[in-house]
Amino acid sequence: MLGRLLIKSLWREKARTALIVLSVATASTLVSAFLNIAFTVTEEMAGELRSFGANIVVVPKSEPLEIVIGGLRFVSPGESAYLEEADLPRLKAIFWRHNIAAFAPFLSRVVEVEGEQALLVGTWFDKDIRIPEGKRFFTFASGAQREAASETETFRTGLKSLSRWWQVEGEWPREDEDGALIGSGLARRLKVGIGGRIRIALEKRSAVLPVRGIARTGGVEEEQIFVHLKLAQDLFGLPGKAEKIQVSALVTPDNALAARASRVDPAKLPLEEYETWYCTPYLGSVIYQIEEAIPNAKGKAIRQVSEAEGAFLARMRLTFILVIAVAILAASLAVMATMVTAIFERRQEIGLMKALGANAKHLGLFFLLEAALTGIGGGIVGYFGGLALVPLLSVRTFSLGGFGLSLSLQAAILPITLLVAVSVALLGSFFPVKEAMRFEPVKTLRGI
Amino acid sequence: MIEPLILLKAVTKDYNGKVRALDQVSLEVYPGEWAAVMGASGSGKTTLLNMIAALDRPTSGSVRVDGEDLLFLTEEDRARFRREKVGLIFQQFYLIPYLTAVENVMLAQYFHSMADAREAAEALRRVGLGERMGHYPSELSGGEQQRVCMARALINQPKIILADEPTGNLDAENEKTVMEIFHDLHRRGHTLLFVTHDPQIGTQADKIVKLEHGRVLPAFPVKALRSI
Ligand SMILES: Nc1ncnc2c1ncn2[C@@H]1O[C@H](COP(=O)(O)OP(=O)(O)OP(=O)(O)O)[C@@H](O)[C@H]1O
Ligand SMILES: [Mg+2]
Repeated sequence: MLGRLLIKSLWREKARTALIVLSVATASTLVSAFLNIAFTVTEEMAGELRSFGANIVVVPKSEPLEIVIGGLRFVSPGESAYLEEADLPRLKAIFWRHNIAAFAPFLSRVVEVEGEQALLVGTWFDKDIRIPEGKRFFTFASGAQREAASETETFRTGLKSLSRWWQVEGEWPREDEDGALIGSGLARRLKVGIGGRIRIALEKRSAVLPVRGIARTGGVEEEQIFVHLKLAQDLFGLPGKAEKIQVSALVTPDNALAARASRVDPAKLPLEEYETWYCTPYLGSVIYQIEEAIPNAKGKAIRQVSEAEGAFLARMRLTFILVIAVAILAASLAVMATMVTAIFERRQEIGLMKALGANAKHLGLFFLLEAALTGIGGGIVGYFGGLALVPLLSVRTFSLGGFGLSLSLQAAILPITLLVAVSVALLGSFFPVKEAMRFEPVKTLRGI
Repeated sequence: MIEPLILLKAVTKDYNGKVRALDQVSLEVYPGEWAAVMGASGSGKTTLLNMIAALDRPTSGSVRVDGEDLLFLTEEDRARFRREKVGLIFQQFYLIPYLTAVENVMLAQYFHSMADAREAAEALRRVGLGERMGHYPSELSGGEQQRVCMARALINQPKIILADEPTGNLDAENEKTVMEIFHDLHRRGHTLLFVTHDPQIGTQADKIVKLEHGRVLPAFPVKALRSI
């Protein structure tokens, strides 16, 4: 009976129902659009971080003495310690070898380029390496043996896979011939373009290199020159050396165990906990395993997303939340205005129901369900409205591009949007309905 | 000793502090009794019915129905009282416009306990509306709407039936049908209180309550009236 009552009463007031649906739909369109954008951005960022950005930097235990002057790093020669380039493939032989997504060595010095000073960075661009046979089985103090994931024999990695977000005009230099990738800022200052040549000098050594590509990175790299590692080693007179390695590792978020392990020496954890910790890809345990694998190495966690990016996201989120809050408020008020007239026009019907013995529960259920139904209608309209709005918003306002949210997240947006829509409808109906409960049946029945 | 089912003591109802619709009305109706309320237009008949149906509250005096003092009931209890104890037939036949005849009857069932389409249809057949069940109020004549209201009032088998001019809009034939139903209800022990202008109908009751300007005139035996 209630179902029939609801459907018939909604259908009778088609125009009014449509008005409420529309009010609710406006608010839920915004909610749906925002959730789509927020989820996509978060997902993309998380994805980028996980797969490409470095989250670990490995340096020698005794670091070279370095002084930073005006953004340029000067390294005191002589007693500095270095990492061995030859040790790098061992990164793919640790227990969590499979989670090492990318890495690249770095060796840099301030050099003279066409009369200017700039940082020359030697690195791997996109290098094929042979992976040494790693330990397959790891035995723990408890006697338990765990098998590490098997790996392929070769691996291709370098700056290119580590810095996917760089925009490179021209092409990446190759590993087997001399060429430079230079930052866009420096290129502008030196007035060189792709195919041009630059002369690099350090003390008595010098080299003339063709410019293969110009990189836009949004960071300090735009003032630097990148060459393949061998070239830098020769120029600096440091054959086979690297000063740091950046590593991108897939890690699981820290939990209580990871936190405990980071406070104490992991080796001092109870045996079982140590084993669990070692066999879980926490950032800490991956670093620990890297330090085990590479002699004289110290690993540190780094954050690749710049603070600015994070702040922008937070600001964007705040703006959206404010806009949505205002939209929800406005929609609720619109629903309320419509409901106030609706209830007034229906006072006789309400009086009759009361005279027939309907109590507050009957009437409340009836009117609030009616509101909830219109809310669901508005939510569904709004959900698709939001989907339609996303491309407009993202291209014009946020230039995020590349949308296409994974289905599981997409599926989460509908219920959230519906929840908001129903809340708006209920919020807008609550006070008018409460007022209706107070109607005196005799008065409303007489008032024709 | 039998307690009166409906007991009004010195009930006064003022509207806006000016119009006195009921003035010191005292009244007793016993279980199974059939009382007719008669009086000129504006004499307070509908107001009296509203008091007994717990639709309105007196300015002073007391209203006791089936052992419940209506003045002291909460809103929730008044709603329960209305749906469980009384069947109301209004002077203007109020029907929900977007529900069909049978659905209007079912609505009363729904508030009372559970809607039952079969039972509701049977009730409409009893008042001669077997062919009109799926019609909306706007598609029914005044007399037909009145009978839908009647079916709705009786559907939950209430102890007390309060009817405000139930035959006012009916032709002779339908009036006969409706009166038969009332007689039947009376026989089966329901307590009836109904308002009428028509002495022919009033005299079929066990007793007549005559109202004049909100006051009850001294009771006079129905038999005396019948013999006129
Ligand atoms: N809400 C109200 N406000 C003011 N006066 C009212 C109100 N309701 C009824 N009255 C007055 O109370 C008096 C009694 O009204 P009531 O409806 O009980 O009369 P009635 O006997 O049923 O008349 P009728 O036979 O015409 O239906 C009338 O004078 C009417 O004008
Ligand atoms: Mg009246």
